[in-house]
Amino acid sequence: MSEENWIEVGSTDSIEEEDLIRFDHQDKTFCVYKLTDGFYATDGICTHEAVHLEDGLVMDDEIECPMHQGIFNIKSGEALSPPACEDLKTYPVKVDNDKIFIKID
Amino acid sequence: MKKNILILGGGQAGIYAAREIRQNDSESNIKILGEENLLPYERPPLSKDFLLDKKNEEDLYFHSSEVLKNENIDFENVSITKVDFENKKLFTKNDDVYIYDSLLIATGSENKKLSLYNNLKNDVYYLRNLEEAKTIKEKVLNKNKITIIGGGFIGLEIASSLSQLQKKVTVIEIGDQLMGRIIPKQIADLVQSTHIDYGNKIILNKQIDKITKKNANFEILLNDNSLIETDFVIAGIGSTPSVKLFENTNLNLDNGIVTNQFCETSIKNVYAAGDVSNFYHPLYERNMRLESYQHAQNHGICAGKNIAGVKTEYTSIPWMWSDQFNLNLQLTGICNDYDEIIERGNDINNGIIYFFLKNKIIRGACGLGIAGKIGRDIRITSKLSEKNTIVDKQILSDQNQKLNKLIQK
Ligand SMILES: Cc1cc2nc3c(=O)[nH]c(=O)nc-3n(C[C@H](O)[C@H](O)[C@H](O)COP(=O)(O)OP(=O)(O)OC[C@H]3O[C@@H](n4cnc5c(N)ncnc54)[C@H](O)[C@@H]3O)c2cc1C
Ligand code: FES
Repeated sequence: MSEENWIEVGSTDSIEEEDLIRFDHQDKTFCVYKLTDGFYATDGICTHEAVHLEDGLVMDDEIECPMHQGIFNIKSGEALSPPACEDLKTYPVKVDNDKIFIKID
Repeated sequence: MKKNILILGGGQAGIYAAREIRQNDSESNIKILGEENLLPYERPPLSKDFLLDKKNEEDLYFHSSEVLKNENIDFENVSITKVDFENKKLFTKNDDVYIYDSLLIATGSENKKLSLYNNLKNDVYYLRNLEEAKTIKEKVLNKNKITIIGGGFIGLEIASSLSQLQKKVTVIEIGDQLMGRIIPKQIADLVQSTHIDYGNKIILNKQIDKITKKNANFEILLNDNSLIETDFVIAGIGSTPSVKLFENTNLNLDNGIVTNQFCETSIKNVYAAGDVSNFYHPLYERNMRLESYQHAQNHGICAGKNIAGVKTEYTSIPWMWSDQFNLNLQLTGICNDYDEIIERGNDINNGIIYFFLKNKIIRGACGLGIAGKIGRDIRITSKLSEKNTIVDKQILSDQNQKLNKLIQK
């Protein structure tokens, strides 16, 4: 695992609990979440249509798309409710010195 | 106990019910009878991404035939033409018989038709199913001026799609606002200006007096004597529940099939779900009929549970959306029974929402914004209205204050 793949997102207090922030890196958009048991990251765009999930609602371990209420599990990326049927990509997250990093391949 | 379960209607409510029954009952025979020779598919893209060629037929199916096979759910392409509730039988035109122990009716709704002279019947197009969407898509290719009769959701979505295909679109609406049946005027007016900005012509308060065929084109005479020349006519003037089959039976009908909160009809072991059902909603303490994607799904699931013996009340808060141009419109709860309106936001780019309150409690909300901008707040509104929460109006009206806090403990 090379160190370069870990990208710094921001400080741990930049996200409120049960909420998310959008993080853009190069030409990609990610969502980074703070759940009760830690931080998680997924692709930032819904798999149904090109809508930013940053405007969606985080509930427990799920992110609900703001456009048509497609629902994904944040930890596994699994599409749980239509019209979303394609899973969302997830990314490893680590916290180091109160900073959040995600590993982008 | 192993039962014969029939689902009449192979649409969204039908497929969700079938899969839910299977989740709870591994034994019974489950068969969907559908008159369209297609596995259950999503209708919303028909007026939007399918017309725009951004989605094709394969993208529309809810599930593949493998999924149905794995779950041991049969799908048969037949049209039922007669029912005998007393003997629990359904018949086709050729007198093929289907016998059930439990029946779910999920026949959906059908488009209202304009009353026209016979010679024009085949010249006005409607949109409800994939076949009709394919026809419209093909026929408009070499047309330029398109007239849409009816300024409801489906008419406006077609207007948006055809405008994006560079057609000159005119929408004629009989009422004094667009989407008048359910959408508050404030939002309807914003949608109207968007259509106008994109070049669509919107005519309100006008009725069609006559349509005349002129060679390959048409002349539409309105009740103020104005004439519209057009190459192609599409009508979207509302829909009615598909209940013709049941009209001379003892099934209780009133704006659809009347059901209680458990999707049960007036006849034992006969259930109804989706567009066709006029269901009792315990939260609003009244019956309602909805034509929406989320409702068809959740109502189907609820019916499936009840058919499988898992007694479940239907308490979903109504929610629907419409996508036109780059805008997403959403409505939740009830927006026509209120004593106070609160506005959140004033710029479509960040989203504008109107909350409808009664006795200080949020009953519903309707919003419009660039794709994605209103969804979270609309969803939070559903949750607040479910719990009859009294909320601080100042938070509702201030877009800088996130509403998340209101539902977190
Ligand atoms: C063009 C269009 C766009 C839409 N867009 C949106 C949207 O953006 N957002 C939203 O929330 N909702 C939208 N909707 C509404 C949503 O698609 C419907 O509410 C939903 O499909 C209803 O599901 P249903 O199962 O009750 O009925 P349907 O999906 O209509 O299924 C009923 C099925 O039963 C079959 N059937 C009827 N009678 C018989 C019979 N006698 N024998 C055998 N089969 C029979 C019918 O052919 C049909 O296949 C749209 C609908 C249309 C038509
Ligand atoms: S865009 Fe996310 S569910 Fe449709």
